[in-house]
Amino acid sequence: MATDQHSVELVDDDVVKPFARAAVLAALMGAAVFVGSIPIPFSPIPISLGVIVVYLAGLYLGPYWGAFSLLLYLTAGAVGLPIFAERASGLGVLVGNSAGYLWSYPTAALLIGAVVHRLSEDGDPADLSRPVLVVTLLAALTVIYLLGAAWLGYVLELSTVKAIEIGVVPFIPGDLIKIAAVVAIVEAERIAT
Amino acid sequence: MIEFRSVSHAFDDVPVLEDVSLSIDAGEFVLLAGANGSGKTTLLRHSNGLLEPDSGEVLVDGTPVAEDLIAARSSVGMVFQHPRDQFVAATVGEDIAFGPENLGLDRAEIDRRVTAALETVNMAGREDERIDALSGGEQSRVAIAGALAMEPTHLVLDEPFTGLDAPARRSVLERLASLSADGTGVLLATHDLRDVCELADRVIAMHDGRVAVDGPPADALAELDGLEVRVPDTTRC
Amino acid sequence: MLTYEPDESLAHRLDPRAKLAVQIGFAATALAHTTPRALIAFSALTAVAMATARLSLRRTLVSYRLALVVLALAPLLAGVTVGPPWFDRSAAVASGLASYRVLLILLVSAAYVRSTPVRDSRAAIQRTIPGKPGQLLGVGVGLVFRFLPVLRGDLRTIREAMAARLGTERGVVDRASTIGMLGVARAFDRADRLSLALRARCFAWNPTLPALAFSRVDYPVLGLAVILAVSAFY
Ligand SMILES: Nc1ncnc2c1ncn2[C@@H]1O[C@H](COP(=O)(O)OP(=O)(O)OP(=O)(O)O)[C@@H](O)[C@H]1O
Ligand SMILES: [Mg+2]
Repeated sequence: MATDQHSVELVDDDVVKPFARAAVLAALMGAAVFVGSIPIPFSPIPISLGVIVVYLAGLYLGPYWGAFSLLLYLTAGAVGLPIFAERASGLGVLVGNSAGYLWSYPTAALLIGAVVHRLSEDGDPADLSRPVLVVTLLAALTVIYLLGAAWLGYVLELSTVKAIEIGVVPFIPGDLIKIAAVVAIVEAERIAT
Repeated sequence: MIEFRSVSHAFDDVPVLEDVSLSIDAGEFVLLAGANGSGKTTLLRHSNGLLEPDSGEVLVDGTPVAEDLIAARSSVGMVFQHPRDQFVAATVGEDIAFGPENLGLDRAEIDRRVTAALETVNMAGREDERIDALSGGEQSRVAIAGALAMEPTHLVLDEPFTGLDAPARRSVLERLASLSADGTGVLLATHDLRDVCELADRVIAMHDGRVAVDGPPADALAELDGLEVRVPDTTRC
Repeated sequence: MLTYEPDESLAHRLDPRAKLAVQIGFAATALAHTTPRALIAFSALTAVAMATARLSLRRTLVSYRLALVVLALAPLLAGVTVGPPWFDRSAAVASGLASYRVLLILLVSAAYVRSTPVRDSRAAIQRTIPGKPGQLLGVGVGLVFRFLPVLRGDLRTIREAMAARLGTERGVVDRASTIGMLGVARAFDRADRLSLALRARCFAWNPTLPALAFSRVDYPVLGLAVILAVSAFY
């Protein structure tokens, strides 16, 4: 049999499951750009599911697999799957104007996952109290804004104030709604860890 | 040969398999019947070490599964219920190559196996097609080809007919029958025996985690009453 | 939509690793230089890259429309000042040049996307990134490609099922959380079934890798990549 000449090294069963979840979540993140977004009142920018998946990756996959899931999303988009905003793709996007936001995603998931990992029994985000959850998500959002606006300012030679005007302010209402939605998801306790 | 020796298994202290003993010989075509929740899927998952028994033992071709997972998983080809969720690649050929690649075979051998597996399921030459563009019946056949490319001695299928119409069921079944005639052991789980049982050598029926019936189709059919298994109206078995 | 298209162009025949190297080299040097002279040279290189991949400029621009809006807005915004002189021309020009090089970087990467099937990219990842991370990222990219249409269908079904019972009348938080929750729950269901299938099929750390080989045309391209990367420091 084949296994005689070559020693097959099976991927451990307890790696396969989180890996499969991370991969499928990366695909969900990508699928979100295809299904229309939800318009919200008083904001020019509609809600897309995207960043919600970033939060959920950190919450339900933990720091490492959550971050891995989003790195995988970045990799898949870089090599040509049409999964960045407005179905864009390509390595250039990862150094382009929105690169800071994209690279902040794995970082944000890592941060959220680390909090869940430290504060919950066995990685179940439902163990977190609501204030802790909200603060964690806001901290992650801050990381996203910081990295996003900083790179935007750097690569387009904009001052800090202007980078914030164009890259943060318009998104605030939608992002707060998403955080509220994520809190509701966690509290519903319907996603198995 | 796949042998289950007094296998018991519980999920969260709820017993699902209780002292199950049976064996499937090379070249045998065995149906595993039973109502929803009777433990068919759980039993199948012990055949290649996806689950470990709480007590008892499973042997594949004489070797305990727990001792050599790689041998068990390459000797027992498994086909699950939802083909959509088990494909790892977007195209037919790449997906079928996945198992042989994991065995570390060289590229020429992998290509040969992909071609042969596709021929066996009547889909020769369709390596480059996108899996999503295939019909449900074709997807089932690609899933079977993915298992066959490991050149297993046994094929274990868990209700591979969900969503297939009668002609598609028929064609998959005929493939399975001819595989078993060529020496591959086939264990097919289903709760619906219409047009399956005339092809089988044996019917095993599960009830509440135990083997309730085990025998040639004609005899087994008579004993299926009360086990919520759909039986053909005609006595074609 | 920008995506891989089968063709016989020169770029299609290049090894994906050579194409990746050029993109990285180009991005590195373009991020380091925004002088008009450098930008002229970059434009010429971009034109060559696009021609080798037979990339349509118009279609590519359409697929990067979101980035284009930002890139066009940035110089205008950069120029605006709160007091006199109301518009700072030099700030606007600096930002305009910076925006333009970002556009060039995007166009060069579009040439890769059009000319490289996912299978080749997966092979490049598995052969370049060593060990387990490379294996997981490579197989992972294949899985994302595989599950993208499946999950797109799931999300669409979820939205239609909600709309069919007038879920559209609910509040926006409610809608976003329902879609997010059902989307992730369903995705995890699929993932758990997938992981069983991966185990049943002997998912291994050391599989036979997809075939990939450098040919004669790849070496000049690799050389160009090195020159570009080094030029980032001058
Ligand atoms: N992973 C699991 N965790 C907990 N309980 C489980 C698990 N898998 C199965 N069960 C339970 O074990 C019992 C037998 O399930 P199994 O899937 O083996 O039945 P089945 O005969 O395949 O049914 P069906 O015809 O519906 O596929 C069921 O009561 C089921 O709820
Ligand atoms: Mg079952």
